[in-house]
Amino acid sequence: MLQSNLIPVLDPNPLPAPYWLLKLLLIVTFTLHIVAMNFMLGGAVLALTAKWSAKHREHGKRVFFDVAKKLPSLLPATITLGIAPLLFLQVLYGQFFYTSSIIMAWPWFLVLVLLTVAYYGFYFVSFRSGRDSRKVACVMLVSTLLVVLVGFVFSNNITLSQTPARWAAKYFAHPSGWNLNLTEPTLIPRFLHFFVAAVAVGGLLLVFMALAAWKRDNAYARQLLNFGGKAFLFSTMAQFVVGPLFLFTLPRDLRMMFMGDNPLATTLLLVGIAGGVAALVVMSSALRNGNIRAAAFTVPGLVAVVIASMAVMRDLLRDAYLKPYFHPEQFPVKTQWQVLPLFLALFVGGVALWLVMIWRYGLLGGRSTIAAEASNMEDGGTR
Amino acid sequence: MNYPVWDVSFGAGLLIALVAILHVFVSHFAVGGGLFLVVTERKARRANDTALLGWLKKHSKFFVLVTVVFGAISGVGIWFTIGLISPAATSDLIHIFLWGWAIEWVFFFLEITAALLYLYGWEKLDPKTHQWFGWLYFINAYLSLVVINGIITFMLTSGSWVRNHEFWRGFFNATYFPSLAFRTAIALALAGIYALITASVEKDAALKARIVRWSACWAVPGLAVLPALGYWYIRRIPHDLWASARGSMPTATTYAGYAVILLGVAMVLALLTLVKPGRMHLSFSLLVLVVALSAMGSFEFVRESVRKPFVISNYLYANSLYSTAIPGDGGFSVDEVSAAGVLTSAKWIRNRDLTASNQAEVGHEIFRVECASCHTANAYRGLKHYLVLRQWDQAKVEAMVGGLEFMHNGVMPAFAGTDAERGALAAYLSSIQPISAQAASAASDGGTIFAQNCSMCHQVAASDPLFKNLISDPASASNALQDLTSLFPLMPDLKLTDRQRLELVEWINTQRSAKGFNQATQGGK
Repeated sequence: MLQSNLIPVLDPNPLPAPYWLLKLLLIVTFTLHIVAMNFMLGGAVLALTAKWSAKHREHGKRVFFDVAKKLPSLLPATITLGIAPLLFLQVLYGQFFYTSSIIMAWPWFLVLVLLTVAYYGFYFVSFRSGRDSRKVACVMLVSTLLVVLVGFVFSNNITLSQTPARWAAKYFAHPSGWNLNLTEPTLIPRFLHFFVAAVAVGGLLLVFMALAAWKRDNAYARQLLNFGGKAFLFSTMAQFVVGPLFLFTLPRDLRMMFMGDNPLATTLLLVGIAGGVAALVVMSSALRNGNIRAAAFTVPGLVAVVIASMAVMRDLLRDAYLKPYFHPEQFPVKTQWQVLPLFLALFVGGVALWLVMIWRYGLLGGRSTIAAEASNMEDGGTR
Repeated sequence: MNYPVWDVSFGAGLLIALVAILHVFVSHFAVGGGLFLVVTERKARRANDTALLGWLKKHSKFFVLVTVVFGAISGVGIWFTIGLISPAATSDLIHIFLWGWAIEWVFFFLEITAALLYLYGWEKLDPKTHQWFGWLYFINAYLSLVVINGIITFMLTSGSWVRNHEFWRGFFNATYFPSLAFRTAIALALAGIYALITASVEKDAALKARIVRWSACWAVPGLAVLPALGYWYIRRIPHDLWASARGSMPTATTYAGYAVILLGVAMVLALLTLVKPGRMHLSFSLLVLVVALSAMGSFEFVRESVRKPFVISNYLYANSLYSTAIPGDGGFSVDEVSAAGVLTSAKWIRNRDLTASNQAEVGHEIFRVECASCHTANAYRGLKHYLVLRQWDQAKVEAMVGGLEFMHNGVMPAFAGTDAERGALAAYLSSIQPISAQAASAASDGGTIFAQNCSMCHQVAASDPLFKNLISDPASASNALQDLTSLFPLMPDLKLTDRQRLELVEWINTQRSAKGFNQATQGGK
């Protein structure tokens, strides 16, 4: 059976906007989603690490709960910021995404259950702020593992959506949807690539927390900076092992795309590597000198460049995988001018309102007199 | 047929129903409860009622834990689930309403942010700013209902969109406003009913009584206006669709009855909370909630049922086939599949050839791609039960599958495929529950013969063609029923014995005289 015959035909309804606009929105919103996910997952991993590895038990406990209190906000941020890229993904790549999701339907469906349990677990921990029990740590560990598992299921689905040649064997063996994509050689390196990146960005979350506490409680802030900065350094160094591993498990023609064959892809990879190296250098210097400004502004700036280049690379890689099957030039397009401007206006207005909201709440150094405390839970009470 | 079909053993339709019902229970609370929070806060602050304010803080925590966590995930959950079970419909809705979904996402993001800041802001914000977040929450939550309502109602009444494909025509469709008003009332009622739960665990009896009375101010009017709004809603649903809920389709009719009865019971229970409000127990508040949610679930079930056989009315059937051929449909319309055959058209089947030896196997694949979005073999909407009840042998199944679109007020799309493929489907269905030809023709009393062979399309009603037109003379009528297809070309070619036909005619005549139908003359058929 020819695999290309299995690729579902395009939706009969035209794209409601030009391809490039949808692609841009996909990449931009995916980048926002991945940043929120990194803060949430990396933060959870580092909170547990702080609790179990800190030399001073009280310090570890304080970091643990300070991060834990942010997770009930970071998880919904991840979910809500994930909706938009999932929407644009479905309009552009529905043929591939729906199919791979159906082939591994149960794991994909169970993501909902895992997320619900993880979410309530994070709330449980945040409501027990300061209570240093084994139960609290265990709940945190379970929730974190569930979120890691969700990420693993996503990696399975995305890799499967890009490899239609695997579809038929998996579907017809188990039409009940009990499939994963475990035999895919890039699966584990890809997953690790994302996981390690999440820990690095989670380190930056701690650095931001250090910035917020810098004047109020400098000793604690320095601990946060040190811990978060080191987490960033170690995981970014680990990325220099995991990244190449991912690259070398790619099929040769796709790998070569990043190694000279495609100028854009190659340039982006070099930008990513250079940005990563620069971030390492700046962070290690910032840690030596206790320079919070470099750690909280320069490093995240460099990391933003790295993440943006990685997001575009990821997209180029997907299109390269799907090249035999995906022909965007064949999309019928009929821009919905009667509603697109409304969305763009509401989107811009929404971002503005969102900024006003967090400013009025006291984040962004706004009008609340207790700005630094702003992201804490109402009944936190640790300080 | 364009996408693989997820084989859910207990029923794909059941899974969607479960996720969707759980979500609407919470999502309507998320809308109405938002207004409840901020209005109650305003009331408490104006009266300087610190006790009420203290309860409201706890209630807002309950609200966030229910709506932001479960509501948000289950909302994404519906999207995940319909993508797995009805990918073609999901893809259509996303293409047609992409910017609607995107606008809803903007409101949703603001709503979630406002909810969290409202909860965390109780101690940190001044009252005015805190209420500002409350209002922002409610406005954005309501606007997300305003948007999603357009897409949900479009599925039921697509109206002129089918011809002009204009976004706003589809969005502001015939049932848009009645549905919005109806759901707004549900949201307000649920705001009061959910508040009873946190009120019931309040220890201060005087405070509890105040909250219960205040909650009833939301629940009772919300429930009270539902019948009128429901009537408006029904009036905007095309008559032939609504006929399903008025007797033509057993399940829709049953749930329509439940919805009415449960709404009445919920109203009585909501009023009973006022009898001794200070002593209301948690179990009673849960009872009110369960009854109200069951009424709402029944309504949603009726809405989904009357929409059948479509998932998008007059456009896409529940089994992902387009109702008429349209450009770019990939050959996935009923007519195109009937002309080309399922085995040629469907992408996700293994057997491409039909032989005498693989009939049931091919039939199983056809069942999966054409029927499994709603039916199972032996679970939710299981066909085994149906076949046992009707005692259809393979020949009768094959004949009946030829007229699916006439059964139960047209709740199913027509079978799409060749005659040979219809035979294969019948072979598979008969393998689920083998019924011999002898058993199939064993029924001897007229009522049973009618129930087994006629009742899926005909109703005992004066206006039904069978009761209206069949001549009353038993011998002539029995003779006329010998060849059903010559009577009406779309009738299945059923072969009843001479005795069965006579019994059937006599039973029909008895029904006509008992119910006072006008008897057909000799000139009838």
